[in-house]
Amino acid sequence: MDAKVMSTMKRFAITVTTVAAVMALAGTGPTAHAQDVAVQGPLAGAPAVIGLRIYREMRLQIQIQSTMTLQDEFSRTFLFGGQVMFHPTDWLGFGVWGGFAAVNMDTNLTEQVMSKGQPTSLNVLSLPKPGAFAQQIGHIKWIAAPQISFIPLRGKLGLFEKLFIDADFYAFGGVGFIGLEERADVERAAALQVCGVTNTSGANLSGAINCLAPTQSARASRTAIAPTFGVGLSLYMTNYLAMTIEWRALPFAWNTSGTDESGNARGNFPDFKIDSQDRLMHFNHMISLGLAFYLPTEPKLSTAGTE
Amino acid sequence: MNLGFRHDVQTLKWARSTTFWLAVFLSLGSMPRAVRAQDMSFDIDEAESAGGAAKDKGKSKGKPAAKEKEAPAEETSAEAGGGGDVLTELTAGGSKKEAEPTEGGLPREKEIAEKIYAVQRMYVLRRGRFEVAPSLAFTVNDQFVTHNALAGSLNYWVTNVLAVGANVLWHQGLESESALDFTVRRSTRLAVPITEYQLGANLNFTYVPVYGKFELFNDSIFQWDSYIVGGVGVIRTRPVAEIDPSVRTFSFDWRVSFNAGIGLRVFMTRWLSVFGELRDYMYLEKLENLKVALGSGTPGSRTDTATWIDPSSTLTHNVMMHVGITMFFPFTFEYRYPK
Repeated sequence: MDAKVMSTMKRFAITVTTVAAVMALAGTGPTAHAQDVAVQGPLAGAPAVIGLRIYREMRLQIQIQSTMTLQDEFSRTFLFGGQVMFHPTDWLGFGVWGGFAAVNMDTNLTEQVMSKGQPTSLNVLSLPKPGAFAQQIGHIKWIAAPQISFIPLRGKLGLFEKLFIDADFYAFGGVGFIGLEERADVERAAALQVCGVTNTSGANLSGAINCLAPTQSARASRTAIAPTFGVGLSLYMTNYLAMTIEWRALPFAWNTSGTDESGNARGNFPDFKIDSQDRLMHFNHMISLGLAFYLPTEPKLSTAGTE
Repeated sequence: MNLGFRHDVQTLKWARSTTFWLAVFLSLGSMPRAVRAQDMSFDIDEAESAGGAAKDKGKSKGKPAAKEKEAPAEETSAEAGGGGDVLTELTAGGSKKEAEPTEGGLPREKEIAEKIYAVQRMYVLRRGRFEVAPSLAFTVNDQFVTHNALAGSLNYWVTNVLAVGANVLWHQGLESESALDFTVRRSTRLAVPITEYQLGANLNFTYVPVYGKFELFNDSIFQWDSYIVGGVGVIRTRPVAEIDPSVRTFSFDWRVSFNAGIGLRVFMTRWLSVFGELRDYMYLEKLENLKVALGSGTPGSRTDTATWIDPSSTLTHNVMMHVGITMFFPFTFEYRYPK
C-alpha cells in the first residue's frame, strides 16, 4: 500500500511540477517585451511612481502578532508574539520573529483516538490508555527566528471601488528555533521489567497497560532548528501603522503523536521504543495576523529621481 | 528611457522540487516576470470609465473642461490589443519620427502634446468576454487523503465585476492516501473512514470586489484583482473500504455540493492571467459503516450491501487550492469614451 501511495504521489508531483513550470513560463518571455515601450515627452525618464510613500526605508518595524498553526494532526497551536525588523532600504529588512504558545488545542483526531483507540499487545507502548492520548502528543511551546525580509512589491488595492489602501507584498526567510515538548523516551521492555510484567499478550495486557500508562504523561523538552520561510502582505492604515497577514513554514521532524513509528535495525516494525527515531517530517506551516508600528512615524516620499 | 519591465527577477529554483507546495510557489513566484507597466493612480472613476459611455458621462461632470479636451473628439472608442499596453497608447504617435524644424541650425523647441488621459482606464475590460481557466487543484484540509484534481472553468462576464460560469474537476487517478492514515491505524487501531472522488461539476457566480496594482522596485507595475466565487453543483464520490475491505466494495454516487471561495488573479496581458484560488466544496458525505454485521447471505448480515454504508450523513468540507491560468476571449476589446 505504501509503495503504491508513494508511486502515485511521485507521479502526480512530477506532473504538477511540470505543468506548473509550463504555466509559469507560458506568460513570460515574448509577452514581457510588449512593455518595452520607449516613452518620449514628459513621461520620458520618469520612474513608475512619483510621490510614493516609502514606508520601510530606514524605519524600525515593531509588530505584534497572533499565529495559528495549520493542518495539524493532533494539536493546534496558537502563538502570541511579534517581530522587530529594521529596514536599511525599502525592499530589505532584517530582524527577529518569535512567539510563545498561549494555547494548544486538541484536534478532532485526538478526540477520536481518545474515545475509540484500542491498545493491543503490539501497540500498547504507543497507546497504553486511549483516554490519556492527549497527554502524550507533542506541542510547540515557543518559536524564535532571526530572518531577512525582502519586499519586492509595493502598491495599492481598492475595496469595492471605494476604499483604497497602500500595500506591500514581502517574502522572508531565516533560521527557526522551535521549543518542543514531546513524549519522553521510553523502552517497553525496560518499563515492563520495572513493573514485573513479562509480556503483553493475553491476560498480561491489562498489567502492561497500567505499567506503561505513566509514560504517556512523561515529557521531554528540546529545541529543534529548522529553516523558516514565508510570504506576507502589509496593508497600511496610516503612515505608521499597518495590518499584516503572513504565511510561514517551518519544516522539521518531530513526534507529534508520541507513538512508536520506527522499526528495529532490520526494519521490522515496531522497535518497542519511543525515541528520536520516531520523529516524522512535518511541514509545520502557520498563518499570522499582526499590527505593525513603524518608527519614525513619518515616511519619506519618493521623488522623480528616486529609484 | 525604457519603462518596460526589466527581466531581472530571478527564476525561482523551486521548479525542480517534487512537492505540491513548491509547485504552487513556482507558478505564483513567476508572476512578476511578465508584468505590465501602468500608471499608479487610483480613482473611483477608473472602474467607472470602463463601464460604458453613460457611466463615464456621469462621472466626468466634475472634471475640468481642459482635461476633457485632451481626448480627441473623434476617438469615441479605442481598441486594446492583446499584446498592447496603456503606455503604448499613451505614447501613440510618438514613435513617428518627423523632420525636426531648426532655427539657425539648432533644433527648435516644440511643445509636446502627448496624450495623457484625465482618468486612467481599467487595464482589462471583462464585460461581454468569456474566460477559460484550466487549473490544478490540491486538497489543503484533509489529513488522510488528498483529492487532487485537474480542473477547468468557463465564465461569462456579465459586467466587469460579475461573471456566471461553470467548472469541472476530475479527481480519479490523482488522489493519494496520506501516511497519517496508515500510522494512526497502526499505532492506535483507529480506522478513519475515507472517501474517493471521481469528479465534480458546479455552476458558479464570480464577483470582483478588490483590485489593485503593485509596482516592482519603482520600475514596473502589474495589475491584479481578488474575487469571491460561489455556486452549487454535484460531486461523485464513494467510500474507500477500510473497515471490512475483504467484503465491502463501493461504487461512485452523486452528491449535491455547494462551494464558496476567494481568489487572486494577476494579469500578464489583457487576455491572460495567472490565478490562485482557495475554494471550499461542501457536501453531505456517506461514509463506510464502522460496524460490521454478523453472518452472511441474509438481509442485515455482513454481506448485505445495505449494512456497508453509515446510515447518517457527514458534512464534509473539501478545501482546495486552485492554481492556473485564465484566458479571456475575444483577446481584444474596446474602450468607450464620452462623445
